[in-house]
Amino acid sequence: MDSTKLMKLREESGIKVIEITTDLSSYAASDLRKMLEGLLAEKVEKIVVNLSQVSHINSTAVGALVGVAKRLRQSGGDLKICALADNLTRTFNLIGASSVVEIYESENSALAAF
Amino acid sequence: MSQADIQLQIPSVAFYIEPVRAFVGNLAQSLGFSRKRVADIQLVLDEICSNAVHHGSADATVGVKLRISIDTDALEIIVRDTGGRHSGEKNWLTHERLSEIEMNRSPSNESGHGIFIAKSLADMHKMQPNRDGGTDVRVAFRFSKPRNPEI
Repeated sequence: MDSTKLMKLREESGIKVIEITTDLSSYAASDLRKMLEGLLAEKVEKIVVNLSQVSHINSTAVGALVGVAKRLRQSGGDLKICALADNLTRTFNLIGASSVVEIYESENSALAAF
Repeated sequence: MSQADIQLQIPSVAFYIEPVRAFVGNLAQSLGFSRKRVADIQLVLDEICSNAVHHGSADATVGVKLRISIDTDALEIIVRDTGGRHSGEKNWLTHERLSEIEMNRSPSNESGHGIFIAKSLADMHKMQPNRDGGTDVRVAFRFSKPRNPEI
């Protein structure tokens, strides 16, 4: 199964928004990484990842988000995350990734932060 | 001795981790773990299975073995891999390698968080070489109160 079908890509005011509708364990995390790498290859600089419909995320997926955020910042862009369920916030906090990636309560606030 | 043992074997392919995670989540919920603790158990399982699939199995056909034991005090999960991903490759989990992973872990790293997560969230976490040349990762999650031994 191709989980990228469960990752909807759209654009809001020049910012790419990825809305994920599948849990992010290893298999889907790999597809997320491929999608993000594809956006980097297209020279996209601003990305918001909406996790409002995600109830599980593992460290592979968190790592993919952290890695792309760091690379985008080197070229003046960024990747921001929004709408995390409590247990996802705990995972980001446990790893320490919440100090590396900007996390917002809502998609609108993430978009407004660019 | 445990009251119940469940044994599973999955191919060493990431695709099969998700259904196992769902199964263990349902089991943990049925055993009375809180929603927060079920999420912890599922995350730990995901992390140790991911390590076994990506680092610890010679090929997909050999697979990763799981043993899930339920006793009166705890839910215990053992994940067994068979060793290096490529023929002739050493066991990924030497003591030196483990120390290196733990020492170099940083929030800004893209990988190397799985063992840290398992250690942080499980009530018990042990890793040891197995006779297949791989690694057994054993984690346990205690029940908040002892379970009825008849179930």
